[in-house]
Amino acid sequence: MSAKVSAGKQVFAIVKKDVLAELRTKEMVIAMLLFVILAMVVFSQAFAVILNDLDRVGGGLLWVAFLFMSMLGLNRSFVHEKDEGCLEGLLMSPIDRPLIFFGKMLGNLLFLSIVELFAVPIFFVLFRLELGASLAGIFVATIFLSNIGIACVGTLLSTISINTKTRDLMLPILFMPVIIPLLIAAVSATGGIMSGAELAEVYRSMRFIAVYDIIFLLVAYALYDYVISE
Amino acid sequence: MKKSSLILASAGALLLMAGVYLAFFVAPDTVVRIDDRELVQFSQKIFYFHVPVAETSFVFLVLGGLFGAMFLGTRKRSYEQMSYAAVEVGFIFVLLVMITGVLWTRAAWNVWWEWEPRLTTFLVLTLMYSGYFVLRSSVQEESAKARFGAIFSIIAAVNVPLTFVAGRLDSLKPVHPKVFTLQGASMEGPMLAAFLVSMFGMLLFATSLYIMRLDLLRAREDIEYLKEELEVG
Repeated sequence: MSAKVSAGKQVFAIVKKDVLAELRTKEMVIAMLLFVILAMVVFSQAFAVILNDLDRVGGGLLWVAFLFMSMLGLNRSFVHEKDEGCLEGLLMSPIDRPLIFFGKMLGNLLFLSIVELFAVPIFFVLFRLELGASLAGIFVATIFLSNIGIACVGTLLSTISINTKTRDLMLPILFMPVIIPLLIAAVSATGGIMSGAELAEVYRSMRFIAVYDIIFLLVAYALYDYVISE
Repeated sequence: MKKSSLILASAGALLLMAGVYLAFFVAPDTVVRIDDRELVQFSQKIFYFHVPVAETSFVFLVLGGLFGAMFLGTRKRSYEQMSYAAVEVGFIFVLLVMITGVLWTRAAWNVWWEWEPRLTTFLVLTLMYSGYFVLRSSVQEESAKARFGAIFSIIAAVNVPLTFVAGRLDSLKPVHPKVFTLQGASMEGPMLAAFLVSMFGMLLFATSLYIMRLDLLRAREDIEYLKEELEVG
């Protein structure tokens, strides 16, 4: 008789492994945060002429920075697994294959959210933006909803890209077109919040993000087994 | 070339030529009224080719995803070839949509490009399926190439409608002409006839391309197999 470990524990074990690895090496979160801040500096110089109009374009700038930062992190997240043979270890462990996906995805979601937790306030300070408390809640909710989609699609596609010859170069090519719908909605929602648009429109975009998340969670759940099994 | 694909290709070609004839000589010109002046919109003629091409591309991309799913489910190599051939044919038609679409935007809106939901969708689609081919060529092992190709063809097919819906979230963008709505087609008689003839011609033509491509893929695999046999023997 084998003791059946609950799905939650199996997922948690993978997340814990990634968090521990990160705590010991500290290479991902700090690098990602630095990348985002540097991207903001680049924007402030590249788009200096529109700095007074940031209510309308600020949402877009934020998402461009987050998108590139997330690709950086997603690439890293599987480099170790692949190079040091961890993936084989994971595959041999008695964990259900789709749960490996949720474990890796939650890890990525966590790192992404931690970086943004610091990056968003810095963004608001650097670009002298303000939001009321009630709007700030919706703003954070939008970012978190979008993170789920980014982590989900990103985990799925980075598992594929890590197995190709071009590796780091392949992820953006696959990831960006697939994430475009989410980006459109996220920019529309955060831009709407910052420019004081009707909340109904913001909610419509957020609903779309939620639908996108659910669809791709299902797709990833169904496909991940085929991605990792030889 | 097999007989079946030859027949399909000729039937398609005949229908397409009939479509050209109907579109230019039978279907009436569309006329718009601007300030009491009647303007003949000759550029509208491209619609008889642009829309059939677009619909054909959708059909084959969806088929590519479906065959991809069937390959993953059954692990039968023939489904993988069907998926790959369908995506290839679909991609050719996507490129044709882009070309005919850009010509039309230039004629009708006086710009080469407009960030409008359908145009954006097709640009993303073009890039996404280009990624599909880059992905396949970047994987060496045949089985992994088949697996990743099939997986990405499914993801891409799922993403197409999402991109389209997302493009419409922003209600301020210019709107592409809508011909088919829930109330039915907003054209009749000779126009509808010309359109349908082109539509079926395009589908038959694309199907013949698909069958030829599939034959080619199978022949290539047979040759590879024979080569290996010879080396071993």
